[in-house]
Amino acid sequence: MSGAEQARRPEPRRRPWWLGLALAVMGALWLNGARGIASTTNYIGLGPAAIVLAVGLGLTILGVLLMLQALRGEFGTVDDEAEAPPSRRAFLFALAGVAVPLLTMQSLGFPVTAMLAFALVTHGFGSRRTILDLAIGFVLGSAAWFGFSGLGISLGGFLPLIG
Amino acid sequence: MDILNQLIGGFAVALQPINLFWAFVGCALGTAVGVLPGIGPALTIALLMPVTAQVNPASAFIMFAGILYGALYGGSTTSILLNTPGESGSVMTALEGNRMARTGRGAAALATAAIGSFVAGTVGTLALTFLAPAIAELAFVFGPEDYFALMVLSFTSVAVVMGRSLLRGFASLFFGLALGTIGIDTQTGQTRMVFGMLELLDGISFTVVLVSLFAIGETLYVASRHSSAPAAINPLSGGHWMTRQDWVRSWKPWLRGSVIGFPIGALPAGGTEIPTFLSYALERRLSKHPEEFGQGAIEGVAGPEAANNAAAAGILVPLLTLGLPSTATAAVLLAAFQNYGLQPGPMLFATNPDLLWGLIASLYIGNLILLVLNLPLVGIWVRLLLIPRQYIYGGIVVFALVGVWGLSTSWVDLALMCGLGLIGYIARVYDFPIAPVLIGLILGPQAEIQLRRALAVSQDDWSVLVGTPISASLLGIAALVLILPPLLAYRRRRAELRSAEPVSAN
Repeated sequence: MSGAEQARRPEPRRRPWWLGLALAVMGALWLNGARGIASTTNYIGLGPAAIVLAVGLGLTILGVLLMLQALRGEFGTVDDEAEAPPSRRAFLFALAGVAVPLLTMQSLGFPVTAMLAFALVTHGFGSRRTILDLAIGFVLGSAAWFGFSGLGISLGGFLPLIG
Repeated sequence: MDILNQLIGGFAVALQPINLFWAFVGCALGTAVGVLPGIGPALTIALLMPVTAQVNPASAFIMFAGILYGALYGGSTTSILLNTPGESGSVMTALEGNRMARTGRGAAALATAAIGSFVAGTVGTLALTFLAPAIAELAFVFGPEDYFALMVLSFTSVAVVMGRSLLRGFASLFFGLALGTIGIDTQTGQTRMVFGMLELLDGISFTVVLVSLFAIGETLYVASRHSSAPAAINPLSGGHWMTRQDWVRSWKPWLRGSVIGFPIGALPAGGTEIPTFLSYALERRLSKHPEEFGQGAIEGVAGPEAANNAAAAGILVPLLTLGLPSTATAAVLLAAFQNYGLQPGPMLFATNPDLLWGLIASLYIGNLILLVLNLPLVGIWVRLLLIPRQYIYGGIVVFALVGVWGLSTSWVDLALMCGLGLIGYIARVYDFPIAPVLIGLILGPQAEIQLRRALAVSQDDWSVLVGTPISASLLGIAALVLILPPLLAYRRRRAELRSAEPVSAN
């Protein structure tokens, strides 16, 4: 297996220093959060803040190390399945499909949301038969809604606006 | 014998028609997700988590076990016919299996994979049957410090083994640990890291994290790097079944694969990938036809396929006896146990013998069902690949929505899905492993409880953590796991430098 992988040298990528930065920021957030947790005095042993502190510390250190590694150019990802170059357009459509429930789930209900999400994702994957995709999405969403309601799992109202 | 009686009791549970039905559903679903790219057993079980509210535990776990085993059977099919492993445990199968398919021996490759999976699955399940109760007995003497040490070992080995970089493995682990601190502290009732959001008081749901990181992250990744070239299926026609010689060359690799797979699967960070690498390397060395490796040697299919199935049985040993998950799938199973208010571990063998033995018995039955489902019907499963990619991933997103929205119809969960999905995408692009996040998320809070319990008992004396021989040696191994790989790499680099020097001097 290594023959083919080694033959194709990974291209030197951009240096993703921001990954480490994000991790360190998260660590700082946790460190700051640990200060806000009141430690109960009548408790023997570790209080509730200790782990938050430890995790925050760990994240910060790892973030700094990752940043250093990236800046030195030693990050070295091999992204061996990327035959096609990344397409921002396709990515954004798929992301829109994932994000659209935030806007529509509560007002338009599960089946319509599933329809929109399905159509947006398939569009991102290059499908141009939008009407068909919308129809499949709606059927899939309705089937899931009825199926899971039958199992007693609530997916909200079918069409909340209509009631 | 006691174990045999228990096992017979388990078969009485597993052979109930309703449980046979669930086993069948699980096996069929597992095979399907094994064949389809982008969905694995962990994700499937996570998406089915809402179902646990309605189905009784024994039936649900019988179905989940079917999915766990079935995915391995299905994964080998795509490896062989398409050279696209559906699961990471099937990567090695593709090497020789796909070569065999190209030279018209696809049917034989599929047969040796399926029968090898059956043999190894059965051997592994047998080992599980007799080993698990013994380990559960041992675990009764475990104190909180021993459990803590065990979890530390689990953390370090998962972070070291998964992924290509130590730093990234630990970054993933700590990300998971951090998510695990969100919510109400179970011991003092303090709220932690909820950022003023009431929805976060119960913590971040494991299902949301897993679905977002795997399903959404993968969908975004594949969408952004999608090439429209359709996959070509190797024709099965003209391929003939296993010949006498194929059988002679397969049975030893099946057994060797089982022997390699089970113990490694049972280690705290075993997984199903490593045993397949080892089995492949071993078969290559032992083979009487080493020249055939790379050209379609049947041993190279039989061994790794057996190894990954035996490892899948091995994974259940630490999960059922100690409550210790070693792979993403095991972590989901642990979350499912917790959904039922059950904690896997030694007590479970005493309190819920029907559930556990029913589950173990169902593994024997599931293997048989899978053999029947996969040998004659393989042509049907391959058709699944004719579903256009966009519909597969559109469907994945819809079912991810079912899984996340169905938990508690919470808007915050949807927002988390979006955010964590993006993180999953970044992790995919920059090669951060996902499994340590899940293990950190689910084991982190438990490790904290055990640590605090140990320190409370010892009145704040930290030496208690190495106070028993078990905890001291487990922590020692954890340290070794951490130190050894970089040390070996350093020594190898120095050795290379030294051997390179005389050449450059000349």
